Amino acid sequence: MVARRKFATLKSFLDYIGVEGDRAIFTWISASEGERFANVIKGVTAKVQALGPATKLVKTL
Amino acid sequence: MENIEKKLREEAKRLLEEKRVDALVGYEAGTLPLTATPCFITNPEDADKLVWNAFCTQNLAKYVHDLISQHREAQKRVKPENRKKKVVGVVARGCTTRSLVLHLQERQYGREEVVIIGVPCTGYVDRKALAAVLDGADIREGSLTGDKLVVQTAGGKKEVLLADVLADNCRTCKFNNPVLNDVMVGEPASAMAGAAEEYAAVEAFEKLPPEERWAYFTKEMSKCIRCYACRQACPSCYCKICFVEQTQPQWVGLGEDATDTQVFQFMRLYHMVGRCVDCGSCVSVCPMGVDLRKFLKKLDKDAFDFFGNRAGSSLDDPPPLSTFKEHDKEDFIYNP
Repeated sequence: MVARRKFATLKSFLDYIGVEGDRAIFTWISASEGERFANVIKGVTAKVQALGPATKLVKTL
Repeated sequence: MENIEKKLREEAKRLLEEKRVDALVGYEAGTLPLTATPCFITNPEDADKLVWNAFCTQNLAKYVHDLISQHREAQKRVKPENRKKKVVGVVARGCTTRSLVLHLQERQYGREEVVIIGVPCTGYVDRKALAAVLDGADIREGSLTGDKLVVQTAGGKKEVLLADVLADNCRTCKFNNPVLNDVMVGEPASAMAGAAEEYAAVEAFEKLPPEERWAYFTKEMSKCIRCYACRQACPSCYCKICFVEQTQPQWVGLGEDATDTQVFQFMRLYHMVGRCVDCGSCVSVCPMGVDLRKFLKKLDKDAFDFFGNRAGSSLDDPPPLSTFKEHDKEDFIYNP
């Protein structure tokens, strides 16, 4: 529940500086929710693929 | 101002003579004209060097925390039954008292370890703004009468209106009177003129397209030389080991890589959610003039919009990120 507050502000702040806040994804899954877990991960990969590679705040050596 | 200064000295002297405080943190005249610098007083006779004027910039809560934590560290070498508490007195304006409240909320020290001399505040002079008005000319002499600064430079005499060189955070300050005090010196000051437009700059920035916001962020952070002056001056930055210096794990690389600098700034800024009191200390010490306040104010606004919290405004509120309410903002939670 405290995490919800942290993610609310983190996503908002990422958006504010111009980084896609959607890259930070937050949800709750119980240990018994196997199917939900699979769905969430599928959704997350789809979302990230749609956004494309991250270029901001990424260190290249 | 004169009157407040006189009363402040009397109060400080009394507290030291009565041994109610072991040390007192205040401001004294700086070595350059039109400056003030933090000072530490333990001898009642020295109380006369205290000043209170529009050049008192730094947030003194930082020093209160430093003094008390150093004292506690030193007391570890004393037998438990002989350990003593150190009581620190502090000259505090609105933002300083908010920082003290924040420290108390975060259990950094006890209420009995700090004696607060509250002073009303009408804002302080931004040295960078003053330098810009004077085209960077050295100030040889200067005086403040009423709301006018008379400055003597190599190029001649110049009059500057105090309102034109006030720091940005002071112009829109809503907390210019102490929120907590043991002794109040002088009458509470009237509200600052710009208090209603506190978030105007943030709201304007929010409306820009993301690419422009990112461009602004990278432009500002490219000025940063990682001197960590902002961290050192910030009363909310009191970790014994900062994440920047941690090596196991190493959160952020050292050196001048642009991304490392952005990540350092981003992480330091984000640690200020509901903890930034908008005292402007980081901005005033920044040698490169990075616009940190644009980002800090957003965190303050979010904490206020989402959780109704103003950092350090009341001793009864818990820190916003250590508590929750049933109906907190949750529209961002991912539910496929």
